[in-house]
Amino acid sequence: MSLWVDKYRPTSLGKLDYHQEQASQLKNLVQCGDFPHLLVYGPSGAGKKTRIMCLLRELYGAGVEKLRIEHQTIVAPSKKKIEINTIASNYHLEVNPSDAGYQDRVVIQELIKTMAQSQQIQASTQREFKVVLLTEVDRLTKDAQHALRRTMEKYMATCRLVLCSTSTSKVIGPIRSRCLAVRVPLPSTEEVCNVLTSVCKKEGLLLPPELAKRISDKSGRNLRKALLMCEACRVQQYPFSADQDVTEPDWEVFLRETANYIVSQQTPQRLLEVRGRLYELLTHCIPADIIMKGLVRELLNNCDGHLKPEVAHMAAYYEHRLQLGNKAIYHLEAFTAKFMAVYKKFMEDGLDGMMF
Amino acid sequence: MLSFLTNCSVDQSFIDLTGQNLFDCREKRGQILGSQIEPMRPRKRKGEICSSDLGHRKQDEPWVDRYTPCSKVDLAVHKKKVEEVENWLKVHTDGSQGGLLLLTGPSGCGKTATIQVLSLELGLRIQEWTNPPKLDSYTNSQQVSFDIFMSVKSKFHLTSQSAQFQEFLLRANKYNCLKMVGDARSFFPMSIQVFDKYTVFSCLGCAHSCCAVSSRCFVKTSRFPLVFIVSNSPSADSSSRFLFPRELMEELHISNISFNPVAPTTMMKVLTRILTNEDGKSNGRVIVPDQTVLEMVCSGSSGDIRSAINNLQFASQKEALRGNHPLKSKVMAVSRSTLRKKSKPKNGQEGQPPVGMKDTCLFLFRALGKILHCKKAECAFALQLPSHLSQHHRESLQVDPEWVIEHSYVSGEFFNLYLHQNYLDFFSEMEDVEKASEYMSDADLLTSDWMSSNTMREYASSVATRGLLHSNSQQIAVGFRPLHKPNWLLVSKKHRENCLAAQFLFRHFCMTPVSLQTELLPYLAKFTNPFKNQAEITFIQDVGHLPLKRFSLRYSSYSIPFIACLRCTR
Amino acid sequence: MYVCVCIKKKKSSSHPSGGVHPSFSSGPLPEARKLEGSLPNLLFYGPPGTGKTSTILAAARELYGPELYKQRVLELNASDERGIQVIREKVKNFAQLTVAGTRSDGKPCPPFKIIILDEADSMTAPAQAALRRTMEKESRSTRFCLICNYISRIIEPLTSRCSKFRFNPLADQVQEKRLLEICEKEKLKYTIESILALVRVSEGDLRKAITFLQSAARLNVNNEITELAVIEIAGVVPTKMINDLLQVCLKGSFEKQEFAVMSMVNEGYAATQILSQLHDCIIEQDLSDEHKSVITEKMAVVDKCLSDGADEYLQLLSLCSAIVPQAPQNN
Repeated sequence: MSLWVDKYRPTSLGKLDYHQEQASQLKNLVQCGDFPHLLVYGPSGAGKKTRIMCLLRELYGAGVEKLRIEHQTIVAPSKKKIEINTIASNYHLEVNPSDAGYQDRVVIQELIKTMAQSQQIQASTQREFKVVLLTEVDRLTKDAQHALRRTMEKYMATCRLVLCSTSTSKVIGPIRSRCLAVRVPLPSTEEVCNVLTSVCKKEGLLLPPELAKRISDKSGRNLRKALLMCEACRVQQYPFSADQDVTEPDWEVFLRETANYIVSQQTPQRLLEVRGRLYELLTHCIPADIIMKGLVRELLNNCDGHLKPEVAHMAAYYEHRLQLGNKAIYHLEAFTAKFMAVYKKFMEDGLDGMMF
Repeated sequence: MLSFLTNCSVDQSFIDLTGQNLFDCREKRGQILGSQIEPMRPRKRKGEICSSDLGHRKQDEPWVDRYTPCSKVDLAVHKKKVEEVENWLKVHTDGSQGGLLLLTGPSGCGKTATIQVLSLELGLRIQEWTNPPKLDSYTNSQQVSFDIFMSVKSKFHLTSQSAQFQEFLLRANKYNCLKMVGDARSFFPMSIQVFDKYTVFSCLGCAHSCCAVSSRCFVKTSRFPLVFIVSNSPSADSSSRFLFPRELMEELHISNISFNPVAPTTMMKVLTRILTNEDGKSNGRVIVPDQTVLEMVCSGSSGDIRSAINNLQFASQKEALRGNHPLKSKVMAVSRSTLRKKSKPKNGQEGQPPVGMKDTCLFLFRALGKILHCKKAECAFALQLPSHLSQHHRESLQVDPEWVIEHSYVSGEFFNLYLHQNYLDFFSEMEDVEKASEYMSDADLLTSDWMSSNTMREYASSVATRGLLHSNSQQIAVGFRPLHKPNWLLVSKKHRENCLAAQFLFRHFCMTPVSLQTELLPYLAKFTNPFKNQAEITFIQDVGHLPLKRFSLRYSSYSIPFIACLRCTR
Repeated sequence: MYVCVCIKKKKSSSHPSGGVHPSFSSGPLPEARKLEGSLPNLLFYGPPGTGKTSTILAAARELYGPELYKQRVLELNASDERGIQVIREKVKNFAQLTVAGTRSDGKPCPPFKIIILDEADSMTAPAQAALRRTMEKESRSTRFCLICNYISRIIEPLTSRCSKFRFNPLADQVQEKRLLEICEKEKLKYTIESILALVRVSEGDLRKAITFLQSAARLNVNNEITELAVIEIAGVVPTKMINDLLQVCLKGSFEKQEFAVMSMVNEGYAATQILSQLHDCIIEQDLSDEHKSVITEKMAVVDKCLSDGADEYLQLLSLCSAIVPQAPQNN
């Protein structure tokens, strides 16, 4: 039994639930025969990958859905072996180059080279090129991006790149200018509701519109998350009731509790406890920047309006350091300590104000 | 260094080959000991007196080698321990049943020496295997020792370590079978020596698997005892547990005998004996150090007899007579260079660097204490700050932070981690903590760029320590506080491992790591989906769930309306 | 390929008729061409897409004709290996060849070769230094043409050896005219607004404008190319959204800013794009210089953080809450 997210993923451009105009444009692109490099960008859960897979299917037919997971070993010039997982069909190759860390340049060049040199198996597909799909391009090193721009031109004849990224901010200009950029915004709340309802219908379930609305609100328009939430609700209770709890991931609840910890008391001892909780989150595979963002969100909800701009500045400041630094805990903790100090001062001032 | 020392495994010619390839001192000893035991590498010898043979030794030979024990009496190990090992050996060398023995203990406490002496006395033969310290360093240094064993077959056959070990076992077993015809009582205790924790880490993976696999087959096929020698350094005491988990110990009936550090009295005895010996025949080339020096050497080595003898030899060199207090300073120098010792800090003077005499671990905590307790001197001529900066006034420091870091023998980053782990206990004001944490964050930022991190490291630790000292404005007398090891290393390691495991186990979902870890996994934990395999289930149970304690929301829910009403009343 | 073809098609195959800077085509180069023998070393600089490369290529083609072109012109750009080693060997060897002053068909042609170093500002300083000697020694038979975006990244000794030409961004009318020509030739359906939008988003970069036009044409095969389509392809945030965001920043509460920033990020717009457009808006906004400078300073910080990989949402939120105190009603 597969997850709803996978089970009801649309497989052709015509069946997409939203951004249909864009879908028809992509269809045009495929039909006009000459296919450029693509840069697909948009927030997580907007359906970038779904669109790309639909596009590939449009290009090559159902053959692209026969996926195999391969484990490749690439030898860097420094004789270091880099292991990387790829997902491939006969027509395309998907790879997440950020798996390779700072050796990503070598990985990309090697993979594209081998891909471009191998001939298309079936001439009948009438596409003389194969597609290499690179995910998380925004996490590529600058070095790799510069190398990519040369590679893109060199193998244009036999290979097209589809780059997938959450934002174009971290993609260098030359690459952006070589690609056709396709923006995939998150679906609107209504669109999320519609998808949820139709999925539930296909499952033979009845989803109350109120619940659908609440789920889509809570998911922050992230469709993947919304579907997972919906399925979790189904596991939790069926038939659905309109006011049932929407299941949130443990770590979000945990973060909220942590934020409450911080707000309720501001002492070094409390900071020590918070540190323990941050460690707990880290060991449960939550990346440090996500922790930071989540914590900021919860703290913003918890503090007085007059503090909020300051908290926003602090958050931006320390999140930036987090990205630069080596050891995330220093910066997470410094942010927490800063918040505690500011909050404590604010509370004390408030008390003083009441005295007079 | 990978050394296969196989003396008598095949035949006599093989022995000669071995002897020639090794250092000449070995050759010598080989003759002395009647070619019965191939000695270990000289550095690793337990220094004991081998009184009868002293005259033949070269003068420049290290004392450690010169005084290798060759009888039970010479051993600096406690009698009962020796007996224990001897009994085990006797029981397991009947020829009927092989067995596995695990000897553990700190380095230099006489584990290897005991085995050698005993096997010599019992007329047994030894084959030794020593782990290469690093897996990937196939450098020249190994070739010498490497082809001793492999010369018979392929010389530079760079097989994996576990394969090498297995082949070694097989060979040892086979050759001995041949030998059995002539000599019914030959056997080989074999030793894995794990010298320090680096070795443990680097060889852990394969040593572990090879121990498990090879020893299993060894137990089944062999009738000869196999002895593993594992020295556990105080900081990595779990090495033997890593290598030999309890299940394996039970499954294979491995006996474990653990050695204690050599007792000071025994050590004193040995050292004195060596000195009298040397004095007798050295014709004045050796200066006999006085009793205090002996005591210092003794206490400085913390039960490591090997380093004690090394230090002693160094301290008694004639050339040492240079400064005013040559012996003392030399001992200092020696012991500083061999960092492993620990002792009670007898001489607590600040100026003198008695540092090396102590175990790094202990000293690290003292160094931390110096920073965290933040001792400030009441200095009379303190610089007066202008009034607008008066809040930054601090008493001058008693210790120099850079000095402390330099003498803690850990890298600045590591020191910072320790500080970070412990500083909160010493702060009482949130404002101070805020500043201190910012300094820590600054320090991390300084070393973030790998290009410059080498130069910046010192500055980073300086920023962190001085920042901490400065920001702690209201020093409270905290008294004793336990200090802890930093959790961060463990946490980040676990984070990495878990992320990799998640990506590996759930790669068929074809998701980006971030969305996999933050979206899919937490929900998978909530589903009753049957997973494909056990690994996924355990992983999800382990990582997907967080220990949610329902925290009372009382504080937070009240605090906001409270503030709101404050604003109204004003 | 198509991009190249399309652009190349539109660009000159021979120099004076090409899509080159009009001020330039009547400027110094034709004269230099007349002088032929005494063409100096050239340094072209200016923003991307202003026709620097096209100009020199067209000129070279004019000078040598198609046959000699291959032998006489060496073109190296940033994608080629251009370390000091290459300068020493490849460039030097090419420069040392001697050439005749006539074409194969007997027509006269300049007795020198041209080495075009495109994107010269990405060459390392040692490589540039190595070039210095070569340039002087081979001046009899070789002319260099350096092309770069930022003249400040070319070392002083090199700039002093070249005659410098600055390429200004193309005037809007010129771009518009070129785009309209292309549309006619390719028989595209377009609105005049979309062409204006193209000119606007490309910021004087004609190559960018043509690329966008081509992408738009591909995506809307049988439909009209609308302004919206152009804006979408360029990844530009619609002006209305930016204005709304600015209004929220100036007047709204923190919660509203939070929401506005969140929805911007959810729409998938790049933070750097939002930042640069917001910057343009702020400059035109009716604020005192003092306030503007405070805001733009914060923008600089945010831009740096973004380029370091900081989170877009947090940075934008911080920026927005920094604008609030500068708003007119708060002072």
